[in-house]
Amino acid sequence: MGHPVTGSRRSVIIYLFVWLIISLLHGVMLWHFQDFREIIVVSEALVSSLLFGLAGLLAWYPTRYIPFQRNTPVRSLIAHVVAGLVVIAAWLSVTFGILNVVFHNEKDYIEFLNRSIVWRAILGGMVYLVLVLIYYLASYGEKLRERMQQEERLRYLVRDAELNILKSQFNPHFLFNSLNSISSLTLSSPDEARDMIIRLSDLLRYSLKHRENQFVPLKEEVVRIKDYLAIEKIRFGDKLQFEFEISPVCEEYPVPTMIFQPLFENAIKHGVYESTEPVTIRFDCQQEGDMLKTTIINNYDPGVPSGGGTGLGLQNVKQRMELSYEGKGWIKWERENGRFIVTLFFPCKFTGA
Amino acid sequence: MSVIRTIIVEDEKPARDLIKAYLAGYEGIEVIGEYDNGFDGLKAINELKPDAIFLDVQMPKLNGFELLEVLDHHPEVIFTTAYDKYAISAFEQNAVDYLLKPYSKERFIESLRKLESRIESRPAGSDIEKIRLHLAETDEKIHRVVIKKSGRIHVISTNDIHYLEAQDDYVMVYTDDGRYLKQQTMKYFENHLDGEQFVRVHRSYIANISYIERIEPYEKTNYILILKDGKKVPVSRNGMQTLKENLDF
Repeated sequence: MGHPVTGSRRSVIIYLFVWLIISLLHGVMLWHFQDFREIIVVSEALVSSLLFGLAGLLAWYPTRYIPFQRNTPVRSLIAHVVAGLVVIAAWLSVTFGILNVVFHNEKDYIEFLNRSIVWRAILGGMVYLVLVLIYYLASYGEKLRERMQQEERLRYLVRDAELNILKSQFNPHFLFNSLNSISSLTLSSPDEARDMIIRLSDLLRYSLKHRENQFVPLKEEVVRIKDYLAIEKIRFGDKLQFEFEISPVCEEYPVPTMIFQPLFENAIKHGVYESTEPVTIRFDCQQEGDMLKTTIINNYDPGVPSGGGTGLGLQNVKQRMELSYEGKGWIKWERENGRFIVTLFFPCKFTGA
Repeated sequence: MSVIRTIIVEDEKPARDLIKAYLAGYEGIEVIGEYDNGFDGLKAINELKPDAIFLDVQMPKLNGFELLEVLDHHPEVIFTTAYDKYAISAFEQNAVDYLLKPYSKERFIESLRKLESRIESRPAGSDIEKIRLHLAETDEKIHRVVIKKSGRIHVISTNDIHYLEAQDDYVMVYTDDGRYLKQQTMKYFENHLDGEQFVRVHRSYIANISYIERIEPYEKTNYILILKDGKKVPVSRNGMQTLKENLDF
């Protein structure tokens, strides 16, 4: 954060204005209690106050670099006292130097000046203290504003993530093509059509029910994934193959709902949609150390330029992994010999939020 | 009136079965082939020269729109797709019809009637040129370019394009594997290529940012791009401005 006074022209003007008023009060007091010539009164008031105003700007730096939260209070206090003494000593010596030189002929005034040095030092100390307080308040206010902005940004991010989750749950392309397949099956194979309607309904109900960021046992998530794949298999036939290998320790593990769905959709979209050869999607889950390791592997046709995609699905899952497991779960993905491999790591100890 | 010969190009078997089931018992239309990807479909259409095709948009290797771009024989087109994000009205005027999945038998028969009357009134082919023009007007970003070169179809990922150069009514596309001539406008590429990656650096040139090696001054006020393979591409003043904005310098 910059200097609160010199940071903007407006604050410089206000600061100057305040010191002119102090200077005015100084002059009025001097004129009222002492019997000096006008020129002396005005000079002292201006020189003393404006110089203090200048020195007061320096008080910001100890405030800025000696924050009370981090250092011990005693050390900060000593640092402030030392800084304050230096500033006041500098202010007094310059003020006295100027006034002594200018008014060396005015014996009464010089005597008064030298007699009042202790009072001036004490008053200066008090004003310095007030300045330091004001600076602390300013920097605290600034920090508060920054934190509020940060919170606002965070809220926005969370809402954005929620929207993305909703978007990822319904792929209209999948939905309407599946309905078209069902329509076809009602003519050729009504039993299969009925089976497909039931699977599709289960899948839709599941995604509606678990709209919030809830956790479900991994095995439940897998049942829905199998529904999804069964529907796609009716559309694509032998072109789509899948294998599941899930270690029993993983079955009850809580995972965020629909966490795998975008990954399987990707495998279908970039693997099956773009290929004329059979594509196998393999899902593995086992314990590895204190993590559960889940991999989703699909082969794809590397010769075909991708139809594109924004990587939104992967980014979305990444974001949810980080949020759901407080930074302890993560995802990585890589291409290797015509295979796309997505690996998710879940922390074993995590029991769900 | 002779029988209308059709081809189905559609990657899902149930969807193909549905078209055939709807057509069963309908007099005057015959299916002479069905294909589950764009490449096979393209080859068959050029060889068998059907009167009409049922064309899916989303397909492996070559999608429906890309297939239309490189077709030699021009049949009537009925789109069958789950997409509705393209301007449907644009197709209504030029394609025979646009069937949104899932569709009813009545809706399908309606398409067939349109097809029959279209073929009766204008037996000499279709308006694929117009469909292409309408496609060019959408703002959909492309990720690959399909080009015919000496009888072969090349599908080029936009990532592999170094730069493009205007040549009258054509655009020359320069890649790792050589250059390809595509009948298309610079405007089209400027609108449809990803603006983060491709910059129109000159009236006649669009460059892929990731292939730029450096930018050098040229003569007094101009600049020139040196690409990673040493090729030079001129930059106009406007082009320099866009480059500055894109590359943040």
